[in-house]
Amino acid sequence: MSKCGISRRDFLKAGGAAGAALAGASPLGSLARVAAQSDSAINVLTVGDPWDLALQSVTDQFTEATGITVNIESLGYTALQARLVNAFLTQSADADVIAVDQMWISQYADNGWIRSLDDFISMDSDAHFDDFLPECLYSLSTWRNQVWTLPIASYAQGIMYRTDLFETAGLDPLPSSLADAGMWTWEDYFAILEQINGMDLDGTSMYGTTVIGAQPVPVVHMYSQLSASYGTRWFTQFPEAPWDFTPTINSDANLAALNDWKRLYELSPPESINYLWFDAGTRFSQGDIGMFYHWTPYFYLVNNEGYLTGTPSPVVDKFETAVLPTLTAGGDQVVSLGGWSLGMPSTSANQEAAWQFIKWATGAEAQKAMGEVNVKGYQFADFSRQSNYDDADLNAIYPFLGTQLEMMKLGDGKVVRPPAPIYTSLEGVYGLQINQAMSGQVSSEQALRTTQTLFENILRGNQMIPYGVESFDDTLENTKALQASLSGM
Amino acid sequence: MPNRYTFQRRLPYLLLAPSVIVLLALILYPLAFALRNSFWFWNLQTSPMPLYHSGWDNYRMVFQVTPFAVALKNTLLLSFLGTFAQFWLGMGIALLLHTHLRGMGLMRAALIMPTTLAPVVAGFLFRYLLEPKGGLLPWLLEGIGFPVPPQGFLGNANTALFSIGLVDTWQWTPFFAIVLYAGLLSINEEIKEAAEVDGAAPWRMFWSITLPLLRPIAAFLVMIRFMQLFNSFDLVFVLTSGGPGTASRTLSFNLYREGLVNYNIGLTAAMTWLVVIIVSVIINLYLFFIYRKREW
Repeated sequence: MSKCGISRRDFLKAGGAAGAALAGASPLGSLARVAAQSDSAINVLTVGDPWDLALQSVTDQFTEATGITVNIESLGYTALQARLVNAFLTQSADADVIAVDQMWISQYADNGWIRSLDDFISMDSDAHFDDFLPECLYSLSTWRNQVWTLPIASYAQGIMYRTDLFETAGLDPLPSSLADAGMWTWEDYFAILEQINGMDLDGTSMYGTTVIGAQPVPVVHMYSQLSASYGTRWFTQFPEAPWDFTPTINSDANLAALNDWKRLYELSPPESINYLWFDAGTRFSQGDIGMFYHWTPYFYLVNNEGYLTGTPSPVVDKFETAVLPTLTAGGDQVVSLGGWSLGMPSTSANQEAAWQFIKWATGAEAQKAMGEVNVKGYQFADFSRQSNYDDADLNAIYPFLGTQLEMMKLGDGKVVRPPAPIYTSLEGVYGLQINQAMSGQVSSEQALRTTQTLFENILRGNQMIPYGVESFDDTLENTKALQASLSGM
Repeated sequence: MPNRYTFQRRLPYLLLAPSVIVLLALILYPLAFALRNSFWFWNLQTSPMPLYHSGWDNYRMVFQVTPFAVALKNTLLLSFLGTFAQFWLGMGIALLLHTHLRGMGLMRAALIMPTTLAPVVAGFLFRYLLEPKGGLLPWLLEGIGFPVPPQGFLGNANTALFSIGLVDTWQWTPFFAIVLYAGLLSINEEIKEAAEVDGAAPWRMFWSITLPLLRPIAAFLVMIRFMQLFNSFDLVFVLTSGGPGTASRTLSFNLYREGLVNYNIGLTAAMTWLVVIIVSVIINLYLFFIYRKREW
C-alpha cells in the first residue's frame, strides 16, 4: 500500500497544534465582558431528547442574565451527526454550541473539530467544576486527559417495577439502594420475571418484562448493560494504556449474557424485538409489563402515557425504582453511563459567548431550573452534579434521585460501551448479531463468533489492530486528578 | 474560415454543448470522485481526510464487514416482486378505469392520493396500521382467521420484507394504473374494432393488441419503478430499519449505515460502485431484451 502524504499520527499532531494555537489565541480575559454585550447571539444545535425541551424552557433566563440571544435548533440523532460532520468538513461555522453524544467525543476531538474546554474551565471559577460527578465527566466529556464537553444530561440504568403486581404476587420490594442490595442478583431478577410473567393483574395479562430489541443501536444500549454486569469487555485493553483493541467479545461471560438476554426476550412481548427506547418505556407505562431495566430518564418519563401526551399513565404511583442486580451476590457491578454533553466547535466565531452558555446550561442553577420545568409533567432529572442530587426541592419532585445517584457512581461509560474510534461501526454489527440471535436466525454461539470476526475485520481494516497511535491511560482516577487540577484543588 | 454550411452543421452541437457539459459534470464527476475514494482509506471516524491508498481493501471489506450478499438478495427480491405486482395490479386497475363504469372519475382522483404521500409518511402510517397490539390490519386479518405473527408483520423475519413490499405496492400501484390508463386512452379504437369484427376474444385482444401497443409506456414505467425499488430506503428506514436481523436489509440501507452512520467514505464509495455496476447490468440486459427486435 502506498502511503499518502499525511499520516494519521501527523494529522493528530497537526490537529493538536491547531487546537493549542486556537486555545492560546482565545482572549479568555474577555469572558466577563461578553456577559455585558447585549447584541451577541449564539446558535445551539441540540438533539430532540427529553432534556432539550427542559433546556429550551429555561433559556430565557440565560438571555436575561447575559444579554446573549440563544437560537436553539433541535434535530434527530442521525440528522444531528450528519449536519455536524458536514459542517466540520466544510469548516463552516454552523453552530457555536453543539450537543455531543459520548460516542462522538473521540472522533470530534482527534479530528480537531471541537476545542478543549480545559482553559475555559481552569480560568473560570464560576464553573464549579468540582461539583460534577467524576463518573459523568469520565463517561461523557473527557478524552486523552482533556475535557472537551460538559455534561448536560447524564443517564445511568436502573430498574422500574410494578409495586401492585409485586404485592399481588407476594414479592418483597426490590432494593432501592446498594446498602440493601447485598444478595440481589440477576438470577433473582429472572426468578421474579418467571413468577410474574403471565399473571393476571386487574384483568390484564402481564408480561414479565420488555426488551429494547431493535437493531443495531437500541438493542446494544440495553443488552450491553446485562453483558457488562456479566463481565463482558469489548477489547483486550481499553481504556487503560496501552490500548489493545483486539476484541474479546466472544467470551464465556458474553455467551452467558446473550443466552440470558434471549430468556429476557421470551418473557417480553414478541414485538419488542423491534422496540426502540421509547417503545419499551411506553409499553411499561401502558400497564402490562411487570418489571424492566432502562435508562434512568424513564424513571420519570413513564409517568406519562406517551412522550409529551400530558396524560398520566396507568402506572403512576404503582411503580418503584431499584438498583441493578449483580451477577453474584455482593459481586462487582458496572453500570452503563451515557448521555449528552455540550461542546464548542473549533469553527465557532463566538467562543466566549458559547462558553458562557455551556457553563450556564450545565451549571447547578440551570439544571435545577430544568428539573422544575413542568410541561405536561416533569421532564428532566438527568443531573450530573452532586449538588443537584443533594437538593431537597429536586428530591421532592424526583424521589428516585438517591437510587439514580448510586447507579451513576457505579457508572463506567468507557467500559460498557467503549467510545473508541469507530465505535459506531462496531455497534452496527454487534446490534445486528444480537437481534439475529433473538429472532432465532442464528444461535448465540454463532452470533458471537460472527461478531468477533467482524470486529477483527473492522478494527484491522481501520488500522486499529495493532494500534499505532499514542494511547492514554484513560481511567476514572485520571479523570478525578484532571478534575482536581482544573478546579484548582 | 468556416462557411455558412459548416456553421449550420455545427450549430446543433454548439447549442447542445452547455447541457452536455453540465450533465457530464453532474453525473460523471460524482461517479469519478466515488471511484477514486473507493481505493482510499477514508473513514471520518478516524480522520477528516483520506489517509492512504488502500487498493482493493474497501471492496474486500464490503463483503467482509457488511451484510452485502443478504442485502443484495433482499433488494432483488423486493425490486422484482414489487415491480411485477405493481405492474399487473396497475394494469388491472387501468383496464377497470377504461370500462367507463360509474364512479370511475372519482376513482381516478382518489387513486393519485397514495402516490402524493412522501414515503416516510406512508411508512409511519403503515407502522401504526401494522402494529401488532391494536393495529388495524392485524386486527382485521385475525378477524378473518389469517395467522398474524406474534411479533407483528414488521417484527417477523419471514414477513418484514414482504410488508415493506406491500406498503410500496399500496403507494405506487396507482402510479402504474394512471399512466397505463393514459396509455389505454391513446390506443386507436379502430384497431380494436377491426379485431372484434375478426372475432377476437377479449383475452386475445388484450394479449395481441392492447399489451403490445402499451409496451413503449410499460417498458419505461417498469424500468423506472425497478430502479426506484432497487434504491428503496425511506420505507425500510421507517418500517424496520432493515430488521429483524438482516431480514429486510437493502443495499440502500447498507449505504446509509456505512455512509451516514459509520462515516466510512471509502467503503461507502466502493459499495456505491458495486451497486452502480449491478443496476447497470440489470437495466442494460432489460433494455437489450426489450428493444432487440425493435418491433415497437
